[in-house]
Amino acid sequence: MIEFVSGISVVCFAASYAVALVCEASRLLFRSGVRGAAMIAFAAAGLLAHTLFLVWRATHEPAVPLSSAFDWYLLAAWVMAGGYLWLTIANPRTPVGLFLLPVVLGLIGAAQVSSRSPFPQSPATQIWGAVHGSFNLAASVAVAIGGLTGCLWLIQAGRLARKQPPLRSFRLPSLERLAHTTERTLTIAAWTAAAGFLSGMILNAVNRQRGLLETVPWNDPVVLRMAGLVAWLVTAAVTARVTSRRPDGPRTAAWLSVVSFGVLTASILWGLFGATQHGVPPVQSAAAVLSPTAPPEAMP
Amino acid sequence: MTLAFVGGTHRTVPLALRERLAFSAEQAAEALARFRERFPGREGVLLSTCNRVEFYAAGERADVPPPPPDQLVSFLAECRGIDAALLTPVLAGDRDEAVVRHLFSVAAGLDSMVLGEPQIVAQVKQAWSLAQESHTAGPLTGEMFQAALRTAKRVTTETAIGRERLSIPSVAVADFASGVFERFDDKRILLIGAGKMAGETLRYLRAAGARDVVIVNRTSGRAAELAKRLGVRAGRFEDLSAELSAADLVVSTTGATEPVVSPELFSRAESGRGGRPLVVLDLAVPRDFDPRIGERPGVWLYSVDDLAAACDANRKSRQRELPAALTIVDEETLRFMGDLHHRSTAPVIERLRAGWSETGEAELDRLFRRLPSLDDPARAEIRQAFDRYAAKLLHSPLASLRSESRAGSPHGLLDALKRLFDLKD
Repeated sequence: MIEFVSGISVVCFAASYAVALVCEASRLLFRSGVRGAAMIAFAAAGLLAHTLFLVWRATHEPAVPLSSAFDWYLLAAWVMAGGYLWLTIANPRTPVGLFLLPVVLGLIGAAQVSSRSPFPQSPATQIWGAVHGSFNLAASVAVAIGGLTGCLWLIQAGRLARKQPPLRSFRLPSLERLAHTTERTLTIAAWTAAAGFLSGMILNAVNRQRGLLETVPWNDPVVLRMAGLVAWLVTAAVTARVTSRRPDGPRTAAWLSVVSFGVLTASILWGLFGATQHGVPPVQSAAAVLSPTAPPEAMP
Repeated sequence: MTLAFVGGTHRTVPLALRERLAFSAEQAAEALARFRERFPGREGVLLSTCNRVEFYAAGERADVPPPPPDQLVSFLAECRGIDAALLTPVLAGDRDEAVVRHLFSVAAGLDSMVLGEPQIVAQVKQAWSLAQESHTAGPLTGEMFQAALRTAKRVTTETAIGRERLSIPSVAVADFASGVFERFDDKRILLIGAGKMAGETLRYLRAAGARDVVIVNRTSGRAAELAKRLGVRAGRFEDLSAELSAADLVVSTTGATEPVVSPELFSRAESGRGGRPLVVLDLAVPRDFDPRIGERPGVWLYSVDDLAAACDANRKSRQRELPAALTIVDEETLRFMGDLHHRSTAPVIERLRAGWSETGEAELDRLFRRLPSLDDPARAEIRQAFDRYAAKLLHSPLASLRSESRAGSPHGLLDALKRLFDLKD
């Protein structure tokens, strides 16, 4: 059993999700009596392999469990994949996978190109780092779900405005439900992103006070982009709340959610390929300070 | 011939004649009782709906075949007191496989006025139940009607022929209003006017959970009367602006020649809506809502033409499923006919088995007399070996019979078997 679990690779569950995505896409082409079961089976198999992989890493890595950028992205993908499976079982006729699975695969892809080195491990950073990471993870998932429901709202509203009846194989949730979820996720994303940013500042302040090498300059690109993301999300949530009692409020919220998802994606891409001292182990961090050509490290 | 049928539908029988030919439940029971007396030993099922009257007859034994279609026409004419000469040109008759194919198509809704409509399945079931109660049902019609219901179920589950909605009220509620609202039990429904589609649309809305319904009409007395009949609350037409402010979904069916809700009136109502979305099902001709209202954010306005276009699209979608449904009907017809033909070989197979068994028993008796020292277990072993030997020898001819039955009644093989094994009728 241990041999089997240790043999699970990222490719195993990524391939399962990819097959589930192909099944989802085939809804647009033809009818099938077994597609629903196949989709759920592949997604469930992928999620099981994904879970076992994360458990294996959490129990066999010497550092704090799941404390690298690689693990963070995989954990975010795992939450999204779980959400996809739940939504597909609850609403089998709604093609959420067409929107969620690319995000899952994108996060797995981001994990593949990001660092597997654990974040700094001093006791203070362990607590505040966990808080910081958890809030950031929740904010990212909320933004991704909000982006999905916002996008679905715009598609559904477009179809209803053009007086098109729903497609048999592509039935979308009602505008009421989508608008409710979109507004709620925008609020959650703003609060959790702000909490994540605040906890990150506390973490950095603690490190500075103790004179630890793992401090991050306040003008580090990751700090700046996170500040920008939080500012955007708070603005979006406030705008959505202010316009919620206007007839075009749901449309505004939908667009804000879709743009928020775009901002998050850009932010992640920036984090993957930009130079930073955020989340870099102290020795490497010092090296990065000394040598600007040091290999960049990624961090959400 | 084992099966016969005669019948007419909305396509072949004029409405006036169809009305005279239609059977109520009591009249159908009387007709079946008369059939039992007139054609003893035969099976009969009468299917009478608004759009069709059909009689299915069966007789399994060669000496009691079902009445041919022309006799069935006369029988129906006699039951309803109509001149048979009037019915002969408009009623169609068929025999054997064509009867099965027709019934399977009917049960699957492929022969209905609205393609794929589901009510016909219940009507076929009722017709079969009535035949059972009247003692005119039998094993052959029983199997045929069971197979027809199975075919209908397959068509429903394996194709989408009955899934798309075709009536304007059902499309309005299930495809459009449900696209905007998740639930209706917390929504205010406003009925403006008392057009004929208001009641039916309300029926669909209630099925979807709507509870809070208000009706307004230019004539307050008429509104009160309708409110009582439909079990809803009556409002005042003078308060239309306030009612529009409070409503989430409006069904408008007045007979007004000018729009009842102008952009100005709607603007007044809109200010009190708090940004809530509004679905308007304008089922009136001419329209009750100025079309410009539909351009406002948060307003989803659908006219009869919009909904009729969606119904047409759904109708075309059903038509696209027709080939797949007909393939299922063909498969089930062939399967049923194969089973039916195989049933006709049963007496020959029985005689063949009996003959072999008789010969085997005689040989075993002779053997056991010559070998008296054999104990019971040894005798049982020998008897089993004889049985296995006979079964193996019979396997090939019986398999050939079964295979031949799928293509039709295997008369040639049956004759050959009779001659080869000297089987007497």
